[in-house]
Amino acid sequence: MTEVTAPATGDGKQPATAAPLLELREIAVYYGRVRALNGVSLSVNEGEIVALIGSNGAGKTTTLRTISGLIRPAKGDVRFRGEPIHHLGAERIARMGVAHAPEGRRLFGRMTVRENLEMGAYARHDRGGVRESFDRVYTLFPRLRERHAQLAGSLSGGEQQMVAIGRALMSNPTLLMLDEPSLGLAPILVDAIFEVIREINARGGTILLIEQNAGLALRTASRGYVLETGNLPIAGSSDELLNSPDVQRAYLGM
Amino acid sequence: MLSFLRIPSGPAQRGQSAAVFWIVAVTASGMLLMGWLLPWFVEPTSSGIGFSPQDAVLSAPMGPGAFLLYVLAVTMLLLVLSPLAEIAAGITKRPLPLIADRVRLVVAVVGFVLTLVVWFLIRVLNEEPLFGPIDSHTVTDSAVWLTLYGYAIAALVYGARRWVLARGNVAFGAAAIPFGVLLPFMFHQAPDFLLWAASSLAIYMLLALGLNVVVGFAGLLDLGYAAFFAIGAYACASFASPTHHIHLSLWLLIFIGAGVASVFGAILGAPTLRLRGDYLAIVTLGFGEIIPDLATNNVFGLTGGPNGLSSIDQPRYGPVNFGTNPQWFYWSVLAISVIVVIFLRNIERSRVGRAWVALREDEIAAAATGINTTTTKLLAFAMGASVAGVAGAFYGSLVTIVSPDDFSFAVSVAVISMIVLGGIGNIVGVILGSSVLTLSIFWILPHMNEWSMTVSAPGKPLEFLPGLATVNFTQYTYMVYGIALILMMLFRPGGLLPSRARRVELEAGIESESLAAVQGRA
Repeated sequence: MTEVTAPATGDGKQPATAAPLLELREIAVYYGRVRALNGVSLSVNEGEIVALIGSNGAGKTTTLRTISGLIRPAKGDVRFRGEPIHHLGAERIARMGVAHAPEGRRLFGRMTVRENLEMGAYARHDRGGVRESFDRVYTLFPRLRERHAQLAGSLSGGEQQMVAIGRALMSNPTLLMLDEPSLGLAPILVDAIFEVIREINARGGTILLIEQNAGLALRTASRGYVLETGNLPIAGSSDELLNSPDVQRAYLGM
Repeated sequence: MLSFLRIPSGPAQRGQSAAVFWIVAVTASGMLLMGWLLPWFVEPTSSGIGFSPQDAVLSAPMGPGAFLLYVLAVTMLLLVLSPLAEIAAGITKRPLPLIADRVRLVVAVVGFVLTLVVWFLIRVLNEEPLFGPIDSHTVTDSAVWLTLYGYAIAALVYGARRWVLARGNVAFGAAAIPFGVLLPFMFHQAPDFLLWAASSLAIYMLLALGLNVVVGFAGLLDLGYAAFFAIGAYACASFASPTHHIHLSLWLLIFIGAGVASVFGAILGAPTLRLRGDYLAIVTLGFGEIIPDLATNNVFGLTGGPNGLSSIDQPRYGPVNFGTNPQWFYWSVLAISVIVVIFLRNIERSRVGRAWVALREDEIAAAATGINTTTTKLLAFAMGASVAGVAGAFYGSLVTIVSPDDFSFAVSVAVISMIVLGGIGNIVGVILGSSVLTLSIFWILPHMNEWSMTVSAPGKPLEFLPGLATVNFTQYTYMVYGIALILMMLFRPGGLLPSRARRVELEAGIESESLAAVQGRA
């Protein structure tokens, strides 16, 4: 099954009739002459966590970058709330409510934690709302409140990941995209980060998640897509994927 | 052992303020030393009457006059050597007792008052009986001014140490602004070229402030900045000279220069949006070569070819002609510089300023947070260029003739050296860096020629080095840049007053990947 256009609603959380919040149709992306994505289609519904798993070089990061407008697709379209956005610049897409916590965290290392979070709210002009977002981020990550005056570049890996997620949340996004939030973190920190991801979702946040750690990602998400060298052969609910022999062999090490 | 010179880590403000404390303290010593040594080296000018303390000390007849001079000599020596006490305290890690500052404050005040008294006795009352034959120790009043200034800032730095350490930038302004404003009086008996040098200093300071926007704030390395300076100067030359029979006021020209230069800034910026680092440097370098070349080739018949444009109007306002009253020109440039500093300070703290920093730190993350990287970069180029345009307009009306040679790569190098020396990204540092380098180039080096001739003449201290008189120190401009930069890299790798970002970078290297590279375009 190379084409998955209809959203699976395995856990029954979502009404099957709702139009997807985010929809990718037949996306193809090239780096020069190298094809990175070959007809990728996926959808994310409001209020769910969707995991995108796959091996190194499968095109997971490219997919997220295409959605957030850092890369322009050669073919296909990206729709957010039904409107095509793939021709827009990254800053326009960010202002529409798509927040991207990029791979490798990409903090502003020589700014303080607080300044990093402020940059996350750069596109916002509602001061009250920004203050609320600060409270929300500091509630999710009490550690960041303690470290608010510290330079982001001097934090530990886990704290940096908290800043990266916090910065993305500061734009009060409709869709939060996380690229490998567990990268380079100790297992205990990974658990803590995923706990927060579940909490964000429990409060109504929609999340598109990329992970190397397929088991953890699928256990957190309601649905998942498996990406293989630019193609999207497998999609389904988390339980289906976790129980699929192919996925188990290739990504879960069973 | 030299650890006291290193950048203090820790909270940003305290780091900068400690550096300001050092800089002001060392400047006080330098001013006092120069005030005393200047008359010794420089031959008295015909009109100048001041005093030369150490000549007076040696030649004054015993009595109250000599006593005053001895006291002055002691105060000078104490204050000149006094940073050694901080160094000793730094090495032994024992804080200086509070009384040391009190003593130095008293010494500075006594020195200040006594200098005024002695100057008054000699200059106004012509007290030959007190100080011996006055002709033998007459020089310009520059020495008195420098000495007074040295005492004043010594009093500031030792008398208000806590305030200096708490409010570094304010203290820097309190020390630097009076010096800047009073400079024409210090040199009022000096030939006009010194005032021209002072105006050049202010013009270079403007250039450094402008380049700092591009390189320091936005992190875009621009090696062709002189091109925008040229564009401003040629705009001024075109609109205020007989060339095209247009004669506009300098105050209009400032805006024209800024406008034209910022347009060119955007024109340079647009094709280089995807570039950064070395690649951007190469393209801007090329741009910096193209503009003077276009001027040399008399493009569209506008630029006058290799000879440039001449007879640029000298600004004239009522009775004040800037050509014959160079101090007014100097004050005008200084006033504009102050306005530019205030403007840039506000820009730095604004949304745009934060966007520049974010862009410099990480282009991808910046784009992902909703910053329009295109307009933000173009704005940095345009704003930096417009400041250069203002400087160019002033330059044109100062020198009244502009030619392509004035805007060579050397100018770009000079301006970059200034901001690197001062501290990239830090406005106060950039002001300091440009002042230090332009003072060295325009003031100290030309004077070295005079001094070297004087001190190696027969009967003078260095007569055993007759070759010294034939050395032309002004040819060693680039050596000064080189030495200054090497010393800086060794002792203060972030510049004299490093920006916070630079300090952090030195402590932990933080790299960033370009947006274009991610998109597969670079």
